[in-house]
Amino acid sequence: MKRILTVLLTLSVLAALVGCSKKADAPKAAEEVKGGGSVTLVQNKPEIDPQLQAYGALWAEKTGHEAIMKSVGGSSSITLGQQLRADYAAGEMPDIFIIAGIEDYKEWESIILDMSGEPWTKETSVAFTVDGKTVGFPVAVEGWGMAYNKDMLDKAGIDPASLTNYDAYKAAFEKLDGMKEELGVDSVVSMAAGPEMGWVTAHHNFNSLLSNGLPYGDQSAAQDLLDGKVDAKRLGEYADWVELLFMYADPAVLTTGNYDSQVGAFATSKAVFLHQGNWTDPNMAQANATFKMGFAPHGSMKADTEGIFVSAPSFYVINKDSKNVEAAKQFLNDMVFTAEGQNFMVNEAGMIPAYANVNLNPAGQLSKSVQEWSAKGGVYSWNQYLFSGDFRDQTLAPIYNQFANGAIDKAQFVQLMTEAFQNR
Amino acid sequence: MTDKQENRIVFWVFLSPILFAFLMVVVIPFFIGAFYSFTNWSSAARANEVLEFVGFKNFTDSFKDPSFNYSFILTVVYTVLNMVAINITAFLLAVFVTSKLKFRNIYRVGFFIPNLIGGLILGYIWQFIFNNAIPSLGDLIPAFSFLTDPKNLILANRNSAVLALIVVGTWQYAGYIMMIYVAALESVPAELHEAARIDGASTAERIRHITVPMIAQAFTITMFLTLVQSFKQFDVNVSLTAGGPSTMFMGKPLFGTELLALNIYNTAFVKLQMAMAQAQAVIFFLVLIVISLVQVSINKKKEVEM
Repeated sequence: MKRILTVLLTLSVLAALVGCSKKADAPKAAEEVKGGGSVTLVQNKPEIDPQLQAYGALWAEKTGHEAIMKSVGGSSSITLGQQLRADYAAGEMPDIFIIAGIEDYKEWESIILDMSGEPWTKETSVAFTVDGKTVGFPVAVEGWGMAYNKDMLDKAGIDPASLTNYDAYKAAFEKLDGMKEELGVDSVVSMAAGPEMGWVTAHHNFNSLLSNGLPYGDQSAAQDLLDGKVDAKRLGEYADWVELLFMYADPAVLTTGNYDSQVGAFATSKAVFLHQGNWTDPNMAQANATFKMGFAPHGSMKADTEGIFVSAPSFYVINKDSKNVEAAKQFLNDMVFTAEGQNFMVNEAGMIPAYANVNLNPAGQLSKSVQEWSAKGGVYSWNQYLFSGDFRDQTLAPIYNQFANGAIDKAQFVQLMTEAFQNR
Repeated sequence: MTDKQENRIVFWVFLSPILFAFLMVVVIPFFIGAFYSFTNWSSAARANEVLEFVGFKNFTDSFKDPSFNYSFILTVVYTVLNMVAINITAFLLAVFVTSKLKFRNIYRVGFFIPNLIGGLILGYIWQFIFNNAIPSLGDLIPAFSFLTDPKNLILANRNSAVLALIVVGTWQYAGYIMMIYVAALESVPAELHEAARIDGASTAERIRHITVPMIAQAFTITMFLTLVQSFKQFDVNVSLTAGGPSTMFMGKPLFGTELLALNIYNTAFVKLQMAMAQAQAVIFFLVLIVISLVQVSINKKKEVEM
């Protein structure tokens, strides 16, 4: 009896092993029967994840392909780059993924497909091109500046159009700081410099130093810093600006806050200004923020700077090693040329379209403000991508964080920044 | 087929699934990783990059990297403090729940439950407590009003943030260690205590001379578990402090609560220096092995046989 039992048990273990290996093959076979391809897309805007999932499902239903949409980033602790590296190492590179600029392009160059000649390339002027090859599909046009609460500025008698330089901001911040009780706000500016928020300081705010006041596309200031040449006057004025932002921010949000607490403070009328971009529109809608808002330029210079930072921040690229290149191409074209795709980009995701054939306008007030600034040419470049992610996240972000914590003063901030550029 | 032969076959058949898994996900990757630590490997698809041997360069570079050195020192400090905090808490809890209490089983379950919550979630829960709940405590109770001052935010200062990591680590792990102590305490023969009591020994004397030597085996296990757990701390670190707030070390600004595991992760996935991270992981492994062997051998000497 005992012997029979052991034999039976042994057989069942073996059967389980064999069974496992069989099951693994099953789904693959089913796919081939279906005939359609499968497109896996990984992107870095968690705020539009539900809309993207819905659009992916709709597209899959229409085309018969499978569509797997994944979102990474925001305040969660893994960035898109980390996810892609892990996927690549595991041999599970998505078919469509995002690059943000030349540094990312260099990293993935060997697997990025040349998309020159695709129908969508004729409809946009901000595609990502390298050596005459079009490789990146611009996801949207985005911009950031100082988002302001127009209702509160009116109450304080401040004209947002006057906020174009450091002194104007300083006067406005001082005045608003004295009216905090009257306006019902906790702080003047909602700013974040905590450990998870290095992208606000060391990416976005940092760009003021690189391109504020310079003609669109001018990389000279960034190039000088890349070469280790530090313009002490420009850096000094910039440090004044950073100090001003940190001084009038809510210290709790500044030092330990995350994206939700930073944006939430502005959306719930607890701060007059917000240091973020138009991608916060869906958050504003969620929080039912109905007050009038718009963007004012950054006051990082004594001289007037009449523009905000606008660009196509990220580009979809296709993995040329993928088996589903054709389906991936179709996915991108459908986004531009079908009514559903346009509806997703503009109405659902609230993005400012980068395509001339799209006639829809986003509903969000901040996105509209970006469109207005672009229309009148008040735009400055995004040059932060000329610096590597490592340099910004691991070297610059801790400097901003210490300045925000009060561990170092302005002179030390300037010195550390200078050393960082010289020893890069 | 004799019984002996059959037993051997059954033994290997039942062992094979776990052996296969262990081989595939632990043993083989370990040797591949050790191999990569001597190369210039980078996992990204950079063009024209060929795998080359670079000798011990990754290891020597690691010791020149301020952030690696800082994390190393911080991790040793953290491990010592965390081991002490967890073991003292767990021992006291174990004494508490083995005494003649009502509802002691409920207490046991209650203390153990934090161990069942994932470290990431736990970190976010405690981040909320430190950032929101504790400051609002200051609003409610005037005596604690200093807590509302953002300057006193626990996660905004390096030293208190490390302390916060220890508090959360202890909260998470003390219940588990307590269970080991409970099992050990219950195996101490009651006669020894009775005899000692008749001879006039006080409670403190009985704990010192009977309980502690009798459960020395449990100390070996708990010390080892807490040592390894603290040294490898990652998930709570990521979600609670994310490495911040930053501080200065060797003249460079860097993240002030970045423990070794998180530092290695950042070296690999933010700095993209995969091979160097691999070398650091090998160093990490060797150091952990040496420290834990020393710890176990010291503890073993103190064990007594009945």
